[in-house]
This record gives sequence, C-alpha cells and structure tokens, in this order.
Amino acid sequence: MSAQIGGLRLRGPVLAASGTFGYGTEVPLLERRALGGMVSKGIFLRPREGTPPPRIVETPSGMLNAIGLQGPGVEALIREYAPKWAEWDFPVLVNINGESAAEYGELAARLDGVPGVAGFEINISCPNVEQGGLYFGNDPHAAAAVTEAVRKRTDLPVWVKLTPMVGDIGVIARAVESAGADALCAINTFVGMSIDLNAYRPRLSFRTGGLSGPAIRPLAVHLAHQAARSVRIPVIGIGGIMRAEDALEFLVAGCSAVQVGTATFVNPKAIAEVHDGIAAFLAARGFASLGDLPRYLPRD
Amino acid sequence: MFLLDAPITGRREVARGMFVLTLRAPQVASAVRAGQFVNLGWAPGPLLRRPFSVYRALDEDIEIVLKAVGTGTTALLAMEIGDRVSCLGPLGRGFELAHAAGVVLVSGGLGVAPMALAARDARAAGARVTWVHGARTAAELCGEADGDKVVWATDDGSRGVRGTAVAAAPDADVVLACGPNRMLAAVAERWPDAQVAVGTYMGCGTGVCLGCAVPLKRGGYDRACKEGPVYIARDIDWASLPSHLPYAVPA
Repeated sequence: MSAQIGGLRLRGPVLAASGTFGYGTEVPLLERRALGGMVSKGIFLRPREGTPPPRIVETPSGMLNAIGLQGPGVEALIREYAPKWAEWDFPVLVNINGESAAEYGELAARLDGVPGVAGFEINISCPNVEQGGLYFGNDPHAAAAVTEAVRKRTDLPVWVKLTPMVGDIGVIARAVESAGADALCAINTFVGMSIDLNAYRPRLSFRTGGLSGPAIRPLAVHLAHQAARSVRIPVIGIGGIMRAEDALEFLVAGCSAVQVGTATFVNPKAIAEVHDGIAAFLAARGFASLGDLPRYLPRD
Repeated sequence: MFLLDAPITGRREVARGMFVLTLRAPQVASAVRAGQFVNLGWAPGPLLRRPFSVYRALDEDIEIVLKAVGTGTTALLAMEIGDRVSCLGPLGRGFELAHAAGVVLVSGGLGVAPMALAARDARAAGARVTWVHGARTAAELCGEADGDKVVWATDDGSRGVRGTAVAAAPDADVVLACGPNRMLAAVAERWPDAQVAVGTYMGCGTGVCLGCAVPLKRGGYDRACKEGPVYIARDIDWASLPSHLPYAVPA
C-alpha cells in the first residue's frame, strides 16, 4: 500500500492533516502502523497566541474553526518536537506560514537539516502583510513567489497546500508547480460564517472560520481533481474524508495520497480505519497495489 | 483514556427537562475522577462529539446530566435503553481534593454535573461536604444533592434560599463550583482560590484541535479539555470567556 510522492516514499497513502494532529504527540490511541505520514500544526517563525473563543462551531456536516494558528514558534518546535519526530518511522512535514515570502524562506532555512523534519507543506492561505493582506494563495504570482522562496532554501520535499477560495485552481496549481513544488495538497478549508440569532452576530469571535468536514467533500474532490488535471506533480487530496470510501474517491479522481483531518477529532482511530478500509477495498477488487487502482483523470 | 461503545442502561428525569443518562462504561467508571468528562458521539447525532461531565460512577456504569438544548442532545435523549453511544474518556484534569477539612460545592443549573463525584471524592479525602445548589426555579432544580449539609437556592425563592447559589454559600477552605460562566465569574470575585469547572465549545476533547481555548489572566490561552476543565478561579480572564454559549457547563 506504499505511495510515492515525488522523492518521498510513504508506507501508506493516508496522512494526518495539519492542525488536526498537533505535533503528533497529542492524539490518543494512535495506531502508528497506519500512518503514511504527518503534517504538523502550522508554524510561524514566532510564537502566536491564537484567536479569542469561541474558536469552533459546528455547522451542518461540518465545523468552522478560527484557531488563529496558535503555536509556540519555530525554535520551540525544533527544541521540543523535532527530536521526537526523528525517532518515528514515518515522515513528518512541517506546515509553514508567514506574512511575507521572505518569512517562509527564513522558516525553511531554519528547519532544513533539522533531524526529524522530512519536508515542508506551505500554507499559502495566509494574508500577505506586505501586499495589504491579500492572500498569497489567491494570486498565482504571490503563490509562486512563496514557493520559490522556500524551494531556494531546501532540497527537502516542498508541498503546497492550495486554498479552494480561488476562481481557477488550475492556474495556482500550475504556478506553484513551475516554481518548484514537489506536490500539491488540495484543498485547505473554505472560508465560512455562521450567525448566532440570539446575539445577532457571528458565532465565531474571529467572524469567519475555515469550514471542514463532510460538508466540503464533493467540493474538495472536484478541486483536487481539477488540480490533478492541471499538473504533472502528485496531488494529495484533502477535504471531509471520514471513511475509506471517501479517500478512494480522491484517489480515483487523480490523487496520489490523502490527508485525514476533521475525522480525527471525531474518531481518534479514523486514520487507521481509512487505511485499513483502502487495503480491504484493493484486496476485494483484486488490485495488487494502489497503482493498479483505476483513475479518472482525463488530461485537459 | 478509553474509547468504548457504551450501551445506555438507564434514564431518569431529575428536574424539568433535565435528565441523568446511565452508560455502561466499566473502564471509565473505575478510572474517572471528579471534574473529569467524557466526549460522546452518537448516531444519528452531530458530527463532533459533545463533552459531558461525569456525574456519578457506579460499578460498571457512568452517569451524565443533560438537557435537550439542540438537535444533538434531543436525539441523544430520544435513544432507547440498549442503544450504543461512543464514549471517549475520562478526559481532562479534575478537582484537587487533598487536605481539606471542609469542602463547599456550589452548583448552578446543569452545573450539578460534576458535583456528585466531587462529593464522593471530597468525603473519601476526609472532608465535611456542604453542597449549595441553585437554579432559577424549584422545577428546574436538580432534586438530587448529596452532602453532610445541603443548601437549596432559587432565583424566585420557590425552594430554599431566594437568590443565587453563590450568595447562599458559606465560606470554606475549599470551594468547588460549576455552572454558567457568568456564575463562575461571581465565584471568582468571592473566592479567587475556588476550583471552577468551565464550559466552552469543544472539538476533539483530547488537546489536539485547540478549539476549547480558555483565556488566562497571565495572557494567552490554554485548553479546557487538557489543562482544564477545572481551573483556579483567579487564573481565568473572565471578561474574555464567552458566557452566552447555548449549553452552560462542561456539560
């Protein structure tokens, strides 16, 4: 059941998505054998407090979150978590965040060569403070600039996590591919809002939040498919995967692996169940490996 | 921490619209301490689990207290004896009950939820227990309270002392409180050293999602599910802790 993502060979196609797995030390009852890899909680150069509560709210078949990338900063991550990762038998990629392309580059340079850091996932859904808070991920030039800034500072795998809040995801996908990304992760959360009818104001203190969970799955399958059609590099599917069948939809739609996120909050054993379910599906249909699974990926 | 499929073994109404639900969860029942909670999932039900303080632990069973506050809790109360609920727990850090000669428990409304276990553990630690229990009206007051002394308080005076449980409570070495966050802020004014079990929205219940942020006086946030849900009252920045949540306790 191994999966190949650029130069990185994973023992299985199911990874833990950033922000839903902490730094790998928090999830209880974890069955590591099923984990193809893990993407850390998003990190900035400096510590961040995060947003005031309420930070999460449930919506139909989903949840909105506005955690605000609370985190200890890169130095604490290197000190406290990377040494643990170095002993684990699966790769840990660090989800990196910045307010400018230079900050992303600085983070990559600081983390490159740290034992335990197997690669990077660039979160381009951050506001670009130098350009009036426009999101890197909405602009092919800004997305490419961030990717380049990281690419120049490391030879480790560089994945770019795409935002769904764009007109044509293929444009962004091609831009970051040209800038040197090794893989794409599609997609990040949708921006949403929910209103408290007693308080006459948004239910989240941050006003908006990222929508995840099964509510976004068909949207995510479509966008991951669109991204996969647009590039030659592998695409890792993300969005509302709760069961193996959900993951298989992304794989058939052209993805090389998947990330499981919100499901872990609901079921600490979700990743193991998705992994085992994919293996059972392949066996039942007579496929010897993941590579034999038929794909629906007509090229544009 | 355990993840169990727990059959519902009982249900009783303890106040108007307030129910105690019994679940067969032997490992949780033997491990749980006062103030800890379980995160429950059920089908049909909401996507995310919902946290409930453990009210009592019997041989193989745990009890939780709930009201129908939304579609999820309505569905949970509609389940039949024998139906199974996914039970993750025990979770969080509970009350510290060492070295107390006298313990006062202050509960408001659904804030009874952690107090039966607190009474048990306080007594086991050798303390004399006074339980002060308040609600808006006699009908909404959970009829079960257990202590060497029990004081009832209602806003309208329909049972016991007229006024809040906080006002009706005597002083003591150790005060434990649970109820709406607004009530807990009043507890913090009167007894800064009190141990309070706060209510927040919660996601995973295990420290991963950072959704249950509790604002601290010293700045920053920590997690109700991991460092809490029990806090020393003076450590919380009460003005920043939402008090208008649809469910009032770690309920």
